[in-house]
Amino acid sequence: MSLSLFVQLLVNALTIGSIYVLMVLGLDIILRGTKILNFAHGQLYMLGAYVMFLFFQALHWNFLLSLALTGLALGLVGMLIYLGVFATLARRFTPTTTFSYRLLLSAMASVGLMMILQQGTLLGFGTQERGIQPPFPQIIDSFGVRVSLMRLAIILASLVICVLLYLLMNKTSLGRLMRAVSYDPEAVTLQGVNTFWVFVFCFALGSALAGLAGGIIAPVFSVTPAMGQDVIFLSLLVLLVGGIGSYRGTIAGGLLIGLLLSFGFQLLGGVAELFVFMLVIVILIFKPGGMLGEAAE
Amino acid sequence: MKPLNKLTQGRGKKLLAAAVVLVALIILPLCIESDYVKHLLIMVCLGATLAMTFSMLFSTGLITLGAAAFYAVGAYASTLLVMNAGLSFWLALPLTLLAAAVLALGFGAIFVRNAGVAFVIITLIFAQVVVLAAGQLDFLGGWGGIIGIPRPDSIGPIQFTSKLSFYYLALAVLLLTALVFQALYSSRIGRAWRAIKLSPNLAGTLGINPYRYRVLAFVIASIVAALAGSVYAHYSQNITPDAFGGWLSIYIQLYAVLGGLEFYILGPVIGSLVMIFVPEYLRIMKEWEPIITGVLLLVIILFFPGGILGTVKDPPGLSLKKFHSLYNRLKTGKKLDKSS
Repeated sequence: MSLSLFVQLLVNALTIGSIYVLMVLGLDIILRGTKILNFAHGQLYMLGAYVMFLFFQALHWNFLLSLALTGLALGLVGMLIYLGVFATLARRFTPTTTFSYRLLLSAMASVGLMMILQQGTLLGFGTQERGIQPPFPQIIDSFGVRVSLMRLAIILASLVICVLLYLLMNKTSLGRLMRAVSYDPEAVTLQGVNTFWVFVFCFALGSALAGLAGGIIAPVFSVTPAMGQDVIFLSLLVLLVGGIGSYRGTIAGGLLIGLLLSFGFQLLGGVAELFVFMLVIVILIFKPGGMLGEAAE
Repeated sequence: MKPLNKLTQGRGKKLLAAAVVLVALIILPLCIESDYVKHLLIMVCLGATLAMTFSMLFSTGLITLGAAAFYAVGAYASTLLVMNAGLSFWLALPLTLLAAAVLALGFGAIFVRNAGVAFVIITLIFAQVVVLAAGQLDFLGGWGGIIGIPRPDSIGPIQFTSKLSFYYLALAVLLLTALVFQALYSSRIGRAWRAIKLSPNLAGTLGINPYRYRVLAFVIASIVAALAGSVYAHYSQNITPDAFGGWLSIYIQLYAVLGGLEFYILGPVIGSLVMIFVPEYLRIMKEWEPIITGVLLLVIILFFPGGILGTVKDPPGLSLKKFHSLYNRLKTGKKLDKSS
């Protein structure tokens, strides 16, 4: 393997990996904050790509502005989804409702949403692929190594989002509130906090992250209605490998999956994905809670 | 008259009802001309069987999205044994079930250690792995699948060539599953499962090992799913990996939720009956079907969380009195409109 190929695969791996990191951080915030396993997350990612297409390609707005607006738009969509569906569902639960029952009903509701969003997009926009003109089409060529600037920009943007998220979660009172709610909502309610809007914010933030992931990757991959389905399985897998409720684990897991997929496809071809799945099962034999996760329950 | 009297009371009543339903199930397809409706009935039987395996794991507090995985394992194992090893279907079937049991024990021992959310995800991923393996490995037929799977050999005068005979085979699988599961639920094992569902820790203090009982449920559920898969493979005569994709598992749990989660046996049957037949008659707008299914799912979960059976048994705040007053109000309201 030449150096050039190696660097290209590495950059590719980091690009894919950073998308998965954003996706899974969103899934994890929703899961821990609101106890919802959101299967519609892949469709939010897809919607993000479509919104990005609208703002950047159709309306010719600035790339960063479009991206920020995509995040906001998907946050709004997430908020509406939570208020419309999951808040109604949560009102039904009593303190005696078992965890498995809550989990099942909210997961099923998200499956319903997934079907509606998926088929709705397909009917609305058709199956054709839409491309977004990359805002940074340049190729950096140094020492015989050629790297696409767009991919570097994607990695940088994801990194910035991760840092912002870290600051939000750890340095602000809102972040402290979200962490407290994910730990014990009843105790937070007893402190006189209206937890309802914290739940709404958790869901909206998670959705915004999915939308940002979709919007960021749109200039590299083509935008199709099927893109959400493809990404959700591996995102769930990263969530599992990294350990539910561990930010470091999520980031490590996302990058690991990116590396495995990028190099695996080059070296092994189509079997790579199978290989990744097998590896995950092996990891779970030795680490039932994921690499860096807490207890599995 | 006396025996009949006895039959219309308590336990006898239930037995009588069961006998009537059984006879109806056996006679019903004889009155149906269309092969397509028979095909749908066969799929209802298989779907209900699969949904029952979902309910069985749910009765222990685990949510599986991997029912399709062992359905696929059963289909592929049986196909390979019949086509490559040249065994008879009836000899391959027990071997298939044995293989499924061994696989389920091995994987179940790993999966069940991850309870809660992790179990949901890992079973979904496992289902995906099975599909990928079937597609990527050449000896499993690749993405094109396997075609020309022979029908089961005839036993004596019974031949498995018509849709009708397969309906009876699928019905036998369904009824056998229902009987075995009912026996399990009313035994010590079923009570242990319910205790674990309420609280694994509490069950542990009562001397029930939650881990072992959950693995047991996983193995039984997987064997039954493999049985259904094996029948499916020899019925449809061709299998492709896509037929066992992630959507199937989601549909299977939909059957159970729609029918009523608290009804481990009847819920899946009613749910799969509705979910397979209703979309067929909404055929006019095929591309709208997933949206309708999704909306239906949301409506059921948000407003009728007991499923069909739960709602029938215990209507949510819709007593006859309320209905009456509503009706009266509507009636008087109409009168007012007319007079004004």
